[in-house]
Amino acid sequence: MTARLLSGPSTTAGAETLADHLARLGDLPGRADRAHLIAMLDAAGLLGRGGAGFPVGRKWGSVAGRAKGEAVVLANGAEGEPLSHKDRVLMASRPHLVLDGLELAAEAVGARRAVLYVGSEHAEARAALERALAERAAGRTPGRLPRVPTTLVTPPVSYLAGEESAAVHFVNAGDPRPTTVPPRPYEKGVAGRPTLVQNVETLAHAALIARYGDAWYREAGRAETRGTALVTVSGGMRPGVLEVDLGTTVGELAEWSGVSASVGSPVLLGGYFGTIVAGANAWRLPLDPVAMRCDGAAFGAGVVAFLGDEACGVATTARIMDYMAGSSAAQCGPCVFGLRAIADASARVATGQPHQDDLARLRGWSQSLAGRGACRLPDGTTALLATSLRVYEADWTSHQHHRRCSVRQGARVVQ
Amino acid sequence: MSGRRVVDSGYRIEIDRIACDAYGACAELLPEGIDLDEWGYPILAPGNVPAHLLDLAKRAVDGCPVLALRLVKVARAREADTPPPTVFAARRPETRLDRMEGMPPWPPRPANRPPKRGPDPTRRR
Repeated sequence: MTARLLSGPSTTAGAETLADHLARLGDLPGRADRAHLIAMLDAAGLLGRGGAGFPVGRKWGSVAGRAKGEAVVLANGAEGEPLSHKDRVLMASRPHLVLDGLELAAEAVGARRAVLYVGSEHAEARAALERALAERAAGRTPGRLPRVPTTLVTPPVSYLAGEESAAVHFVNAGDPRPTTVPPRPYEKGVAGRPTLVQNVETLAHAALIARYGDAWYREAGRAETRGTALVTVSGGMRPGVLEVDLGTTVGELAEWSGVSASVGSPVLLGGYFGTIVAGANAWRLPLDPVAMRCDGAAFGAGVVAFLGDEACGVATTARIMDYMAGSSAAQCGPCVFGLRAIADASARVATGQPHQDDLARLRGWSQSLAGRGACRLPDGTTALLATSLRVYEADWTSHQHHRRCSVRQGARVVQ
Repeated sequence: MSGRRVVDSGYRIEIDRIACDAYGACAELLPEGIDLDEWGYPILAPGNVPAHLLDLAKRAVDGCPVLALRLVKVARAREADTPPPTVFAARRPETRLDRMEGMPPWPPRPANRPPKRGPDPTRRR
């Protein structure tokens, strides 16, 4: 488990100061060496770490290559995903790495303004970033980066506030709900300007690539996608955030987390918008965005949650569906009605009071809602539902037809 | 329409899902390309609009009471990466619009459908 972002002092030791940060990692290279940063990011093959996994070099390039106008960079640390903690840990312990990346991005795309977008529930991260901004304002910036006026914006607690059009919408109008795309933020974002919205972990990786180069970045990693990633592991004896080589298998994380390999229970990968994978397939699955996509799994935001055998998979799924339906911004009909219908039907099945056709309708909705909202909430939710229906097929069927839960030794589901 | 080759028009319908309010006019005007789900919201046939339906598609776009539809010019579907144009219905049935010559342009929003609503996203939990 290569430590790069999280090398140095423990993440529980509090925020690293600017002096410690520079002493440990060295100063950023000079302006001339930074001129090729976008090409270096391309060569490194860095993918965005907010969930969508978009190639970072291409994203920066499209903002840098705009026809006219000033650009804005937005560091996305909203982290509304309930199972993910990696962004807040990174912001709270390595604020200067995030700010290095933010300022490098601003320089690379020619932005004159930056926004730090930090979920209001991440108080520790916010305090660390505020202190770090003050430190940088007092001293000189690393690598004599041009100073970028940076605003700290804190959206309310909500799942969708971190969606990129929602982030832009909140900064512009105080409304953390997604907007119809196109225009996408890189075309028309904060204050109507082309806006680079980038996850904080991605920015921190860029700050290291600027220092040590793309060849160094590619030294880590075992699979097709190179480098390291922050993952949030939960469900075992030892939950937490750790940095792993991409290509590390889920089984290795199980071992780290104290989940015995013989358990082989299903694993939730990516996040609430991700996938549930049966234990037998999951254990040897490498954590690599490309390989996982081939296997029908999702790397998403680096969430690895061991679901265990003690909890009923149907009930777990029903809880997630209810959360997602409650997270809908209530703007698009298929999402408002579809996700609520899914949540209600799965709750009925889970509690042993299914309507006759609930399971069949869930199967239908899991295929019919994707691509039919302004944002991808319906896509992500139905993708998770579809994998749950597959992995827990026997449980769904026994709940629906016999009102029996296999987890409780075939006991009738108590209402 | 089996056996007939569908020619690609090079246009795709895009829906502003936030603006869409389930009037259903699009599905009335272009049943070959737009179906409605159980709540009255449109489902698009995959792929680009077939060439022989382009005029009807334009009428559906112009006919949306909340102007939620638009036609977007895209590269013609290549065989590998884009699904070919498809149609839902074999024959275009008589639409409400055909029956509505001389009537006021738009029927009111169906009264039995509840308005879209949900939790206030700006509210703290």
